[in-house]
Amino acid sequence: MIWTLILREILTTLMTFRFFVTVITCMSLVIAGTIVLTDNYERRLASYNADFQTHQEKTFIAHTYSSFKADIDRAPNPLSVFNQGLDKRAKNSIRIRIGKVPYLWDKVYQYQSTGLKNPFRHLLADIDLVSIFQILLSLLALVFAYDAIAGARENGTLRLTLSNPVGRGVVILGKYVGAIVCLSLPLLISFLFALLLQLQSSAIQYTADDLFRIGGILLTTIVYISTFYLIGLLISSMIHRPATSLIVSMFIWVVLILLYPNVSLFLVNRFIDTEEKIEQTNREIEQISERFYRDIQKLRDPFESPSLLKDSISSGGSRGYLHLSKNFTYIPDESEPNIPTVKAYFQDLTSLHIRAAETIWRARKNAFAETYIRKSRIARNALRFSPTGLYHLSTEAWAGTDLFRMEHFFKTGRQYRQRVLDYFHDKKAFSSRQWFASDKGEVRWNDAPRFVYNPPDVFEDASSRALPDLFLLFLLNLVLFMATFMIFSRLEV
Amino acid sequence: MLWHIVKRELFEQVSSLRFVLAMLLTAFLMIVNALGHIDEYRTQQPEYGQKVAESLTELEQRSSNLYNFVLHGPGGLHKMPSPLSFCAHGSENNLPKLVSGSYSGWNWGGRSGLWRLKYDTFPPITATDIFPIFLNIDWTLIISSVLSFLALVFTFDTISGEVERGTLRLTLSNSVARRTVLTSKFLSSLISLGVVLLSGVLINLLLLHISGTLQLNTQEWSRLTAIFVVGMMYISIFIVLGLFVSTLTNNASTSLVILLLIWVIWVILVPSTVGTIMSGVNIPSIERGPSPVFFARNGLLERYEEQGLGDEAPTRTRPPSPATLLWAEFMDEEVQEWKRLNKEFLNAQIYQIQVARDFNRVSPTAILQYAIESLAGTGFQRHLNFMRNAENYETEFNAFLISADRADPDSLHVPFVREGMSTKPVPFESIPKFQDKVHLEDAFKEAIPNAMLLFLFFVVLFAGTHLSFQRKEI
Repeated sequence: MIWTLILREILTTLMTFRFFVTVITCMSLVIAGTIVLTDNYERRLASYNADFQTHQEKTFIAHTYSSFKADIDRAPNPLSVFNQGLDKRAKNSIRIRIGKVPYLWDKVYQYQSTGLKNPFRHLLADIDLVSIFQILLSLLALVFAYDAIAGARENGTLRLTLSNPVGRGVVILGKYVGAIVCLSLPLLISFLFALLLQLQSSAIQYTADDLFRIGGILLTTIVYISTFYLIGLLISSMIHRPATSLIVSMFIWVVLILLYPNVSLFLVNRFIDTEEKIEQTNREIEQISERFYRDIQKLRDPFESPSLLKDSISSGGSRGYLHLSKNFTYIPDESEPNIPTVKAYFQDLTSLHIRAAETIWRARKNAFAETYIRKSRIARNALRFSPTGLYHLSTEAWAGTDLFRMEHFFKTGRQYRQRVLDYFHDKKAFSSRQWFASDKGEVRWNDAPRFVYNPPDVFEDASSRALPDLFLLFLLNLVLFMATFMIFSRLEV
Repeated sequence: MLWHIVKRELFEQVSSLRFVLAMLLTAFLMIVNALGHIDEYRTQQPEYGQKVAESLTELEQRSSNLYNFVLHGPGGLHKMPSPLSFCAHGSENNLPKLVSGSYSGWNWGGRSGLWRLKYDTFPPITATDIFPIFLNIDWTLIISSVLSFLALVFTFDTISGEVERGTLRLTLSNSVARRTVLTSKFLSSLISLGVVLLSGVLINLLLLHISGTLQLNTQEWSRLTAIFVVGMMYISIFIVLGLFVSTLTNNASTSLVILLLIWVIWVILVPSTVGTIMSGVNIPSIERGPSPVFFARNGLLERYEEQGLGDEAPTRTRPPSPATLLWAEFMDEEVQEWKRLNKEFLNAQIYQIQVARDFNRVSPTAILQYAIESLAGTGFQRHLNFMRNAENYETEFNAFLISADRADPDSLHVPFVREGMSTKPVPFESIPKFQDKVHLEDAFKEAIPNAMLLFLFFVVLFAGTHLSFQRKEI
């Protein structure tokens, strides 16, 4: 019986004008969106490739250990076509130095970071596929649902259906399943088109991991559509006139899609103040730097031969920017007896540097957690009160363009720095002559650790963030379905 | 007769559920906007004042030596924030807040280039960017998406609903022309939405007034009025669109479904896709090649080195030695060449955005946004005006440097080599100071074509509605 109901529901829907319009609209928008976003991705990829090339060439050319410097890059994420998230906006390159622990805090100038020759282009909005689905499919779901019960009731078909030996639960389930199948069709078709278009581009190559992620996005989208369909169904079973039900549905749609997310983010952004903590941390960092310079000053005193060490500290001052690269290409013979003292000096200096860098990093990390991360977390939690927000956050995690991914990149950067330090330790580099001088041969970097960024795999992203949000969305579905069922079963036909 | 029908329609509309919801929605958003603006205003205005004061102090410090100005320029030139930014935020966060008149950035043979204006002072990406993206709740957003939506909700069933109920036939059985019916329906929706918008606007302005953040002069009041008028024009497009689709269909819900799809595409999706696609397609994109600005000096240097630049240093001997003159010529040509290339590059950047904006104008939402932005004094067009102000100031400042040099009898008067110019202090009062100005004419010059375009949309749709309503069988 239920199959008959589902089949009938599907057939009547497929034949309607609104279904036709839906498919056409959805497809054309997805195609337009995919073109914009793929182009944008290709541009970013080209700029990343160029950067990567230069950075590779420049990494292991230092003559001394102390002048080690590496730039590591994160490739743009092809799944940003689905959900841009932070992929376009966050830093994609980190400079690894001995005297500095990298962190998200650092400023980047747009010219350097995004490869964008025209920063004015930030004025042009672009919209990702998830946003298109988010706006369009939710609207369609409501349009399909508003008269599902109210309409059938008005024209008497509901009474007719129920006169057969079918339970009300079966009727509502039939309607629901039929509608979801119909609503998934435009989604699947446009998804397919988007994928085909992307495969046309030579720049995009999906791995199995990416395909899992795309599958996750698809699944989340279907659950999202179902949420809105159920909202519509609930309204439809509560309000008896289809016209009123439509108006109420539309108002709820505007609130859920347009108002709630923007208003809540606007308010969180305006009224959660981070300035004070940042100022305080900057002062703290200033103090650490000052202390560090005082310590260096103390180190300098015991030396007998200042000529060799003149200008050996060329570090620019504030905000934790410390560097200590040094390269003596010629050391006169009369300075030779000083070498052990100089070695000891540099060893102490470096350890002070590293310690200061780490103290500064810890201060910044804490401040960051209490300010930007906290604010961002509050905003994300506020979004979780709406299905739109849940959908956005879940797909962001599936696509791997969320804050977690950006932090992960920086974390691997820090780990790489640690690996380099360990390598120096093994090589006894800190106490070697090659730390500061290349007069007796340059450093060979043959066995130095290299950096490759491996993003976390889909299971890690899914289990920690994507699935919990999807689960919440699913739970919302269940609640809505139960509510609709309860109201419907008490409905007088 | 017309007013009779308008009055009846108005009565019906005002007492409906949608009118109440519309009022609540608009008022709520206007309150949110006002609260946000009060908060922003408290930081924005003092920040600008402070920045300007800092620039002046810097200017005073440099005035101890005229040649300092030749090398380092006047410092940062700051853009004045608009007091009407609550009407349109204009993506100001993505635009430079200043252009810097500063050091050339090159040094060759112990000499540095002359000062120049740098326009690429875009705000950096910082940690604040990890915050999720959202739309700013400003008047533009409220009018462009919420009120246009309400316009459709108000009108989708005006004709088709009455056809369904049979009341239209009743009305037309009286001696009323069809156009009177249509016009009165249009007017009544316009009036009721006007009431919704006006009451929202009044609440907003009242809140801003109480908090003391609304200190406007007559010029700004006229801007506000113009924004309201343009907003109403935009709303009437959507009212007519609603009427149009409503005459085409016989079923109210079909007409709403069609209207909503048009709305989603026109209001939300077109402005963020069409322009962006067109800015990348078919236009010689500056993003492919490196910026030419950085190569300005290299070609010139070769040419001047052949003439003997760098062999001999400029001197203070009178009359000026050939080396002094050659250096002066080189420095001047270098800065002119740099400016030319920079200008070319900047124009290419601007052109790309303008193409995108032109294509976005297929959506009235984009037109409304551009019109309100130029009236409110924010956004892209305002930024172009600001850059023009800065450019004028550059000329003025250089002229001042030459005249200040003339006043010094010890100087060789060979701009702009160190040895050929005065190195005496300059009286601070005589230095021209940059003052960013906004001109009402600029704003209206930008807004009027956009308003006309909106009017064109309105006329076409109104004519279409008229035609289809005349032919409709009832």
